[in-house]
Parts: sequence; structure tokens; C-alpha cells
Amino acid sequence: MLDIGIGFSSEENAVLAAEEAIWKAKDNLNNSSKIDLALVFNSSEFSAAGIARTFSALLSDVPLIGGSGPAVISEKGIYKHGIVLALLGFPEGAYCNTAATRDINEKNPFTCGKELAEKLLFGFKNIPRNLGLLFFDRLIDGGPNFIAGLQENLGKSFPCIGASLSGQNDLTRSFLYLNNEVFNNSCAGVIWGGKITFGMGIKHGWKPLGKPHLVSSTVGNIINSIDDKPAVELYEEYLAYDPVKLKKSLKKLSVSYPIGVFIPGEEEYLLRNVTSVEDRGALVCQGSIPEGSTIRLMISTKETCLAAIPQAIKEAQKTLDGSLLRQSNARNSKFAIVFSSISRYNLLRRDIKEELNFIKKSLGEIPFLGVYTHGELAPLIESSYRGQIYFHNQDFSVLIIEG
Amino acid sequence: MFNVNSLLALLGLLGVIVMIFPLLSKETKIKSLQTSVNNLKKALDEMDEQAKLIVRTDIELNKAQEELDRKITSLYTLQKLSRTISSTLEESQVFKKIELTYLADLGFQKALAFLFDEKEEKFLLRLSLGYEEEEAAKIKTFIDLNKATYLEFIRNEKAVSSIATRENPADTKKTKEIFNVLSFVFTPILAKEGDHGLLFVGADNPDTTITEGDEELITILANQIGQALENARLFEKTWQAHQDLEKRVEERTRELSKALEEVKKINQRKNDFVSNVSHELRTPLTSIKGYAAILLSGKLGALPEDVHKRLGKINKHSDELVQFVNDLLDLSRIESGKVDLKLSPLNLKNVVDEVADLLAVQFKEKQIEFSSSFPENMPEVMADYSQIKRVFINLINNSIKYTPSGKISVNLIKQDKEIQIDVQDTGCGMPETAMDKLFTEFYRVDSVMNQEIKGTGLGLALVKSIIAAHKGKIWVKSKVGAGTTFSFTLPLAY
Repeated sequence: MLDIGIGFSSEENAVLAAEEAIWKAKDNLNNSSKIDLALVFNSSEFSAAGIARTFSALLSDVPLIGGSGPAVISEKGIYKHGIVLALLGFPEGAYCNTAATRDINEKNPFTCGKELAEKLLFGFKNIPRNLGLLFFDRLIDGGPNFIAGLQENLGKSFPCIGASLSGQNDLTRSFLYLNNEVFNNSCAGVIWGGKITFGMGIKHGWKPLGKPHLVSSTVGNIINSIDDKPAVELYEEYLAYDPVKLKKSLKKLSVSYPIGVFIPGEEEYLLRNVTSVEDRGALVCQGSIPEGSTIRLMISTKETCLAAIPQAIKEAQKTLDGSLLRQSNARNSKFAIVFSSISRYNLLRRDIKEELNFIKKSLGEIPFLGVYTHGELAPLIESSYRGQIYFHNQDFSVLIIEG
Repeated sequence: MFNVNSLLALLGLLGVIVMIFPLLSKETKIKSLQTSVNNLKKALDEMDEQAKLIVRTDIELNKAQEELDRKITSLYTLQKLSRTISSTLEESQVFKKIELTYLADLGFQKALAFLFDEKEEKFLLRLSLGYEEEEAAKIKTFIDLNKATYLEFIRNEKAVSSIATRENPADTKKTKEIFNVLSFVFTPILAKEGDHGLLFVGADNPDTTITEGDEELITILANQIGQALENARLFEKTWQAHQDLEKRVEERTRELSKALEEVKKINQRKNDFVSNVSHELRTPLTSIKGYAAILLSGKLGALPEDVHKRLGKINKHSDELVQFVNDLLDLSRIESGKVDLKLSPLNLKNVVDEVADLLAVQFKEKQIEFSSSFPENMPEVMADYSQIKRVFINLINNSIKYTPSGKISVNLIKQDKEIQIDVQDTGCGMPETAMDKLFTEFYRVDSVMNQEIKGTGLGLALVKSIIAAHKGKIWVKSKVGAGTTFSFTLPLAY
């Protein structure tokens, strides 16, 4: 049976916080002498080196993966200053392997993806692999190519879920942890295999508004034109803002009104935030949009935004229940990892506690930990999880692990 | 006659007519569909226009909601911060209470505070949040170099911010550069007394928009800081004054203790002197009285009438002198604690009755009506019988002396842990000015009547000493022409 111990600390000092989180997590384990993996998230103002040193000293050779984000999610609350840690003891016949690839923005993204997959698969010969969990410390310029490279080695239908763990404002304060090391401008991942099952769900709660538009020219994550007009005109028309004002405020406004990309065969629109407007009127998005895509302007209310949480969790539970790998007779235990977009945090503002209440209510007895992200990596819906992985904005995603 | 050609032409015409009808029908359908498409397109465009209206309304609503949320959060934070700042009474602690989390809740990431030291004539850095030490020092240097501008800014008592369009001493663009922020609020810290200063808060987040509400909020915070600094200063001042006062009281107490010791020594010397002199006086007095008594007894022969009369006076005055010396000795002994009181439960009624019997002749001579009253089940007091009897004799004798005729009464009242005894007369009374010194040795009220009444001025002093030795109190109430009441207390035996 999967042994799970989750610990949290909001101590001011990084070392003390890491110590307290470890101590609490160990206390929640049935057998603290058998720890197979440590999963950690902390708010970005902590000293990453201090945290890594403490983990190295107190957990020695336990494989560790995680990173820093703008805020962490624990059962106690949502904290802009905190560290949350899960220590996992695997059941017999369950395995994992951790790996990382560095300097991804300086190298060929496809090669980087392939390299990470190779490292992750190391030692998984003859062992059925079930899921990959990936963390980026910032946005990857060639995101789709990276994923393509990853899938080249892992397999096109191999399910992956992940998140971009950038800090809220200062991207230089974004770190990833892998074992005893601290990384920057990297991707770290873990592959699970054997007698361990998963269910995942992802929803955003935004609805399309207005008529569809055609993306007439794009390069990666930059939309040059929509309906053969400069892309920024889409927002100028809908928001009735003059170009100067729009350029200044579009990053913030697009949190409330992102672009929804219609994906044929998928239930939900894929959301894209606009991070900036180029002088020629092109929109720089947080994630790529294929040329020829049909897009809509999206809108949400706090209610629909929050309603996405139970929908995502329900979907994850449905996936888990329908998993062919699941051993229904076994006495299993579960835990969940949740990723929520920082855009949701900014949108919900003072009602952010509601997000935690929805998570707790929907997960029931399942213990969880999570982090706010700058983008999530997952299939659009569970039915297609054996297919395309997308980079999402503004979503709430959940991974339930059972073993 | 129809020829073949005509027939064919007719058939052709019929064919065309047959073909035209479906074509016409299809054209109608196409037109209808085209109309529907146009209608749908129009509806879609209309819907899109409505969508634009929805988005614009939603933006306004979100903006209002966001501003409201921000204000609520900021006010809540300001309230918490004010409470924290006000809770400290140490000037050095006021700025330490402002933490980065509070600043973040107010929507800022950086803060600096300076106080101007009037003596040193320079700004002192008191708070630095979100800045590296080196960066803060660099900004301080800039402030010091532009001291006059910033002092003028403080004197203007007005906040400036990155939204301000009005002219301000800290030019917006320059301020952003110097303080390395994208938006800011800069406000003076004003206290009624003492140092004035500057509070700077800034944001390096491009999404932060400074509003007039922020200006007001930071101004309130600066005022709170000013108030807290003033409170701390006042507390420090009061505490210092309190310390000074305590020091002075201590010094004065030491002086007084020293003086008291001196007085005690002098008093002791006086008592010793009185005691010695009294003893020295009593020896010859005993001889004088002895010889006078022998002579008066006639054992040495009969004395002429005149001599007998004079010897009688010598004897009487010797008695008075002996009494005076004895009183002096007793007073001296009691004050110096040389007398051991023989304390035992005592029924005061018996004592009063005995004294009344003893003085019955004098009451009769002066036609004084004597009465006494006692509470039922009167408890006993813890006292020395002979000393208390002496108190009653002295007080009642005193009343007899100053009551030409009238009433003297002794009333006993039971209190909580003691008994109060009032010796009241309807005599001549005394002025209020005399009452303070009444129990002082050798003091006699300055009045015409007193010149005719003999007295040593030791009786009441002796009474006071005896009562004090019993841990009781004595006081007097009197009114000229209305009489006098001496009251004293004695502790209960049980």
C-alpha cells in the first residue's frame, strides 16, 4: 500500500521551514524508514539552496523532485510563503525514476525533450510505465517541439501531466529541485511505473463569447494576425481600448479574457493568455497556437472558474476508476497533486480561500498538496489522455495517485 | 400542317419549359437560403456586438470589484499594521513592526523610511524592505545630497505618487529611477514633536496601478508611524521623568531618614538628659520633703503657726515637684521604650468607675455632673491597667480644670477591632490653632483662663505616649465656649 506523509511549514527561514515540513511529513508516514520519493513545492522567495541543503542533509539519498512557485497549496491553506512536502513509500512492484534536462531555451527543444525522455526511461526496461510528471521552471520557447521530442521516446500516447513553476513576478527566482541539486531554465520529471495507478483531470471554467475567428498567421506562441488583421485588433474591438492603453494592460486583462483555441474532437477550448503586444500588433501568448486555428474570446465568472475544480477532480476520479491497471481487490491508499494557474489566484483574489474549499470538498478524505503555476501540461480531457498533450493556461489540474 | 421541324421546336420549347420550372424553384430556394445565411450572419454579427458589450460591462464590473477588494484588503492590512505599530512604546521598534508581508498586502514590494536628525542635520535610514543593503545606502546618499528638496517636501506635508501630475520635489521619473520601482507613493512622516521623516513605498510589478486611494492609505500609514513615534517619545519622556522623580524621592527619603535618625538621637539625648536631671532633682527633693514632713510632724518641737503654714506650702510644692519629675521620667521612659507595658485583658468600665470615685470630690467641688456609658456586653481591651488608669485620670482631670461647671462624660463605643473612648466636657473649649500642638510636651494653650490654671504641659504628652505604646490613636475636637472631646482607641483583647 502507498505510504503517504504530507508536511507543511510557513517558517520564515528556509532551513527551518524545510526541517519542519520534513519532520511533519515523516510523522504522517506509517514507515518513515522506507521513503521512495519526495515531492516538494515552496513559494519562490525562499532560498532554494537552503531548502535543497536541508533536504539533502535530512533525507540523504531519497529521490526528490519539485520546485518553487508563486504560492503553495496545502490542506491548511493557500500560502504565498510556505513549503509543502509529500514523502512517499511505494508498494511492492511500484517504481519511479527522476531526471532533468538543463538549459532548454538555449538548446534545440526537440532534442531536449528526447534527452529527458531517455534519462527518464533509464532502468524501466521490462517494467510497465504509467505516467510522467514534469516540471518546468519557466516557459519554454519551443514548447510543442519539446513535448514532441519527449513523446518521440516515451511514446505518442504516453500520458504526462506537469506545470510551469515560475515565480509570480521575478522569473530569476524560479527553481526546480532534483535530488540534491537546484536547477534553473530546466525541466525535471519523474516517471512512475508498476503497481501504481493514476487519474487526472483538467478544467478551466471559461466559456466562449462572440463569433469564432481564424488565426491567419502565427509563429510558435506569437499570433501575427487574426482574420487577416493585426492580432491585437481582436482585443481592441471587444474591449474598446485604444492601442496604447491596451498594450499596457492586456497582460492583466487577458487573465479575465483569454483566447480560447478550438481543438477538433476536444470538449474544452485550450486557453491562452497574452503576455505582451508587439509593436506591429502581434500578440505574444503563453503557449503556442497553431496557424489556421479557430479561436474565440473567452469569459468567466468566479462561479464558473470555481466550478471547474469539482469537474476536474470528478474527471480524475473517473479515470482512476476506469484504469485497466487498477487492482480493485487491493487495499489501496490515494493522494492528490493539484496545480492551479496563478491567473486563477489573481482572478479570485480575496475569494481564493473558496478554491481551497472546493478542492477539499471534492477530494474528500484524499490528502493533497499543490502549487500555483504559470501554465499546466496535460491532455485536454481524460478520454484523449492517450493522445496529444497540451500546454494550458488558467487551468486547474489534478493528479490522483493510488497504490 | 406541322412539319417535323415545327414539332421538334415545340417539343424543345416544352422541354425548356419543363426544365425552367425546377430551376426557378431551385433559384428560389437558393435565394431563400442566401437570405437565411445573411440573416444568420447578421444575427452572428449582432451577437458579436452583444458579446462586445458584455465584455466591456464585465471589465467595468471587474475593475470596480478589484478596486473594492484591494481597498478592503488594504484597509484590513492598515488596521492590523496600525494596531501592531501602536502596541510598541519603543521608538526603535516602530519600524521593525513593518514587515514585508504587510507591505505585500498593501500591494507594494519595496519600502524605505528615513527620519531627519535635527542635531546631525542628516537623514537616518530606519526601514528598508525589498532593497539590498547597498541599494538602500545608495538611495540614502541621494536623499542626503538633495536634503533641501526633501526637507521642503516634508514641510509641504503632502504625499506624491507615480500617478501625480502636479509638480513635486521628487520628480516622478527620477524617483522611479532612483528607487528602482515602476510605481510609488512618497509621503512625509509628521510628528507633533521630534524628528520628521519620509516614507516611500514602491512596486516593481508592472501590473500594479497606483490610485488616489493608495496615496490616502500610505498617508494614513505615515501618520500612524508619526503618531507611534510621538507616543514612544512621550512614553520615553514620561518614563524618564518618572525615573528622575523616583531618584529624587529616593534621595529625599535618604535625607529624611538621616534627619529622622538625627532627631531620634537628639530625642534620645533629651530623654537621657531629662531622666538624669529628674533623678538628680528627685534626690534633693526627697530630702526636702522628708525634712519638711519631720518638721511638720512636730517631732523636733512645736512650730510657730507661720512657720507651720510655710512648711505646709513647702511640702505641697515639693509634692507637685515630685509629681512633675515623675511625669517627666515616665514620659522619657515611655518614649525611649524603657517601660514594659503589662498588657492583659482589661474591663474599661471598672477603670472608669474607679477614676470617677477617685475624682468624686473634685466633681462635687466644681458642681460637675459626671456620667459614663458603655455598650452592652462590652468586650475587654488589651492594656496596662495602671497606665490606662493614668490616661483616664489625666484626661478627666484636664476636663475638670477647664470646665468651670457643667458636664463631663465618658462614652465607650465598640468598633471593628478596637474600642473608641470619648472623654467629653462642656468646658471652655479651645481654638482650632491650638489643637495641633496640644499633645506636644510643655505646650499650654495661650489663654487668659490658662494663666490661672496650674499645669506643666506634660499631661497630654504623657497620655499620647501611653496610647501610642498601646498601638492606639488619640485626637481632639473642640470649639471655644462649647467644650472639648478627647477620643482615643485601644485594641480589643480578643
